[in-house]
Amino acid sequence: MKNLLECMGVEPDRIHFSWISSAESTKFVEVVNKITAKVKAIGPNQRFVKQAAKVA
Amino acid sequence: MSTYTDTMRETARRLLKECRVDLVIGFRQGSQPMMNEPCLVRKPEDVDQLVWDSNCGINLANYLTNRKEKIGIFAKGCDSRNIVTHIIENKVQREQLVIVGVPCLGMIDKRKITAEAQGEILAVTEDGDQINVKTAAGTQSFAKADVLQQNCSVCTHRNPVIHDEMIAEPVAEQTDVDPYADVAAIEAMPLEERWAFFDDLLSPCIRCYACRNACPLCYCPTCFVDESKPQWVGKSQDAMDIRTFHFLRAYHCAGRCTDCGACERACPVGINMRLLTKKLNKDCKELYDWEAGLSPDKRPALDSYQANDPENFIK
Amino acid sequence: MSEWEPKIVSFLCNWCSYGAADLAGVSRMQYAPNIRVVRIPCTGRMSPKFALAALREGADAVWVSG
Repeated sequence: MKNLLECMGVEPDRIHFSWISSAESTKFVEVVNKITAKVKAIGPNQRFVKQAAKVA
Repeated sequence: MSTYTDTMRETARRLLKECRVDLVIGFRQGSQPMMNEPCLVRKPEDVDQLVWDSNCGINLANYLTNRKEKIGIFAKGCDSRNIVTHIIENKVQREQLVIVGVPCLGMIDKRKITAEAQGEILAVTEDGDQINVKTAAGTQSFAKADVLQQNCSVCTHRNPVIHDEMIAEPVAEQTDVDPYADVAAIEAMPLEERWAFFDDLLSPCIRCYACRNACPLCYCPTCFVDESKPQWVGKSQDAMDIRTFHFLRAYHCAGRCTDCGACERACPVGINMRLLTKKLNKDCKELYDWEAGLSPDKRPALDSYQANDPENFIK
Repeated sequence: MSEWEPKIVSFLCNWCSYGAADLAGVSRMQYAPNIRVVRIPCTGRMSPKFALAALREGADAVWVSG
């Protein structure tokens, strides 16, 4: 999935996959913060957004 | 390749007469040059309409889905791989089929010829490696290699992978071609350029779904584009809807596509949407060493688990 | 809206990450408020359609976690 999105020109940091067990709340918090930081760094999404949907 | 026609008619007649099959799926002359159409022959006296030349690019496996009769089918390399995929996916049973293998030297791209020809094309004949095009202005000749469909020119599975009979001796496989050269070229582009490239590539799309209908893999009773509750992809010609459609269509073919070129051939505006499916083919090859439809006994990469499956995208 | 905050649509498996999120909650852990959680019965339920739909409707990123 990620590969083709990237191939079509979507930033790699727009999509994340991870594996967290239900006991790993610390890892969960860590991953949330990490992903948020990454997405903040690349800015708002312009790709694959349907412009009409924004108007509505 | 046109020399196959007589052998084919004989084979079809024999299969029908001996009642080994109820129908034979092949090609007959279309009403326009370079537009051979698929045909289903049910009676031995009708086999003489069958023909074979370099305009048989449509994938015949498309006509097997959910059929219950006993079927004789002519299969090029790519058709045979799609037949294997159909067997794996239980869309047709192996016992129903008499697969007549057709070694293939590639099909010609009618767009290339139309672009080169002067005036309306009246007839197209072939003589070995030469394609003769008759127009009102006169006759033009092309080398077949120059007007091949792009997927045929980089094909590495020209001979059927599965067959009960063969129409002729297998042809030599191409070994010095890189099927994924065009995908690699796109991967090498910077991000912005890639986005713009696909914008440009997909912009003529009119959402006619001919690519989906021509594809032997697309047999879902209700296609995701026709679903309205929930609606996954908008039905408009909005650039994002078009992109979503092509993206998801490619994903449905992941690990199943044999790059037969039926989608591109069917496209009325000539979009090379094969770039998307091919990218996934390339990934399947690189990540799972999988090429679709090579053996009916192997489970596809995407429905089997192996301990060494790559997982470095999971953090 | 002084500063832009990303919206991250998160598809969490009921049995794994959703549990982890729950545990993080009951443990009163602090984490970034940018995620919008969608609980799915299993990561196997995930489909490329979901990710695209999220992006189309204006998500800034998609996170799938099993």
